[in-house]
Amino acid sequence: DDDQQTFRAQLRDDPDVASAVAAIRALLGFLKQDRGETIQGLRNSLRDAIDTLSRVDSSVAVSSGGELFLRFISLTSLEYSDYSKCKEIMIERGEIFLTKVSLSRNKIAKLCHPFIRDGARILTHAYSRVVLRVLEAAVESKKRFSVYVTESQPDEAGQKMAKALRKLNIPVTVILDAAVGYIMEKVDLVLVGAEGVVESGGIINKIGTNQIAVCAKAQNKPFYVVAESFKFVRLFPLNQQDVPDRFKYKADTLKTGQNLTEEHPWIDYTSPSLITLLFTDLGVLTPSAVSDELIKLYL
Amino acid sequence: MPGAAERGSELSEQIEAFAARLRRGGERPRSEDTARQTLSLLRKIVGHGRWSRAGELMDLIRTEGQRMTAAQPSETTVGNMVRRVLKVIREEYGRLHGRSEESDQQESLHKLLTSGGLSEDFRTPYPSLRANVIEAINEMLIELEGTTDNIAMQALEHIHSNEVIMTIGYSRTVEAFLKEAARELKFQVIVAECAPFCQGHEMAVRLSKVNIETTVMSDAAIFAVMSRVNKVIIGTKTILANGALIAVSGTHTLALAAKHHSTPLIVCAPMFKLSPQFPSEEDSFHKFVSPQEVLPFTEGEILAKINVHCPVFDYVPPELITLFISNIGGNAPSYIYRLMSELYHPDDYEL
Repeated sequence: DDDQQTFRAQLRDDPDVASAVAAIRALLGFLKQDRGETIQGLRNSLRDAIDTLSRVDSSVAVSSGGELFLRFISLTSLEYSDYSKCKEIMIERGEIFLTKVSLSRNKIAKLCHPFIRDGARILTHAYSRVVLRVLEAAVESKKRFSVYVTESQPDEAGQKMAKALRKLNIPVTVILDAAVGYIMEKVDLVLVGAEGVVESGGIINKIGTNQIAVCAKAQNKPFYVVAESFKFVRLFPLNQQDVPDRFKYKADTLKTGQNLTEEHPWIDYTSPSLITLLFTDLGVLTPSAVSDELIKLYL
Repeated sequence: MPGAAERGSELSEQIEAFAARLRRGGERPRSEDTARQTLSLLRKIVGHGRWSRAGELMDLIRTEGQRMTAAQPSETTVGNMVRRVLKVIREEYGRLHGRSEESDQQESLHKLLTSGGLSEDFRTPYPSLRANVIEAINEMLIELEGTTDNIAMQALEHIHSNEVIMTIGYSRTVEAFLKEAARELKFQVIVAECAPFCQGHEMAVRLSKVNIETTVMSDAAIFAVMSRVNKVIIGTKTILANGALIAVSGTHTLALAAKHHSTPLIVCAPMFKLSPQFPSEEDSFHKFVSPQEVLPFTEGEILAKINVHCPVFDYVPPELITLFISNIGGNAPSYIYRLMSELYHPDDYEL
């Protein structure tokens, strides 16, 4: 399928782009080529396209990007009744949205790096491009700090993060996932990214994040989350079970249809009571402010 | 025009004098007075300053505001008033420009999706802008007068007969709050003296003048007495954007003791003390004064061997606070972000 190919190609060519942004770009391309004549038809074909995309990459980010795009279509179509004019405006706004969104990481880095003091010891989890950008900004403002990264099994994403940090000349130590409780007393703050931010203000991130948050809370260390605003998703999980299976496991695993109880989930949910602050391109938010943002958009 | 140039330099002098007074510190200025003086100065800038477009006015206010806040960073009310005026200017400009009211102001996901392009440039001149902004500032000044009374009016909802209330140091807002309740009810107050300045003594004297049964005790006894206390009511210097407090030194101890005993901690503070800053690296809220109060200079031999500090303020994290009572009503600390978005515009958080 064409869209799948474009999507896969984008993810491959630009490893720095967030998967949600690549999804939105692919959907925008799809929109440009669409031959339909009605909004309803457009929405239906877009929903199918989003389904196809999630079969490539089943992460939360793709889902939230897709939802956002659909919402974008609905909002624009409310303003213009003539379909062809509407489509023109959509394409124009879509491009503007993509440009704005590509700047979001820099905005977040600018907001977050003042919170890193000189001489700080930071703990982070797995590989997050936003956290990398924040630490880069802190280095640029001449701060000295050291970083502990969890190895983050089963894909050893932490090693990738450590390699990237060493390139920036930041002293890094890779620790075992099990060593988080041990290292927490030495650490000044915890900084993680997020794959999705849910309505309650909690986050969905690589497995192991919840553990780190609980340890941080127990030792009174601040737990900061950095995430772009397009990761806000309309889920309200009350516990780990509430997170849909399609996010927990990779797309390929879901396709084989085997017994999921034997599989290890790739993500977990961290509740908002464990999070100190969220840094987004909409500003620095307390977890209670997240639901406000989502309401403003969807209602 | 000689008249305008004269007024210009006189205004400049007044701002310099204000900044110098702030920098000198010395007597503890009342936050309300500082706020009022800042607003009057800003009103003069709007009235007599040389500007023709909203954009220029905002730049002018921003520059003067930076000068005033740099003089004494711990006086956050100055910065707050500057930000309020900037928001007022944006609103008035928006109203004259014919835009729909609040929606377009804030950054949001919604705006991200629906906006067609560039943001406001504030370049169209409107002759009535000057008068409108001055009127809005006058309204703010009137609002400022009534804040303590508005807070005191809520006293009866929170204090009940025969309760034991604890407070620390001397806060005029809390004094008015307790006096208002004392007109109808009988209750006891325990005041922690708040060393080394011992303002708690003055608070106790004032409360006992209206026949409130008051006890003064040392800060070290706070935890010991806490089990007998029903409520803790305190004032503060600043409220930060995450709901935390910058209050007089000793408040964090009081808050921790209250949390341990599950005693509600109520903060009485007017809205002009709400500052959009987060506690971070800069930490410019801290103010240290002469260590003379802690260890007098007469203790000469010891002084050579040790370091003595005398911090004025304390940081109290938001988890320890139960309720904020302000002139607009009672709010939980997690709701502060909402109040902030009503008072200030996100682009003004960094002056």
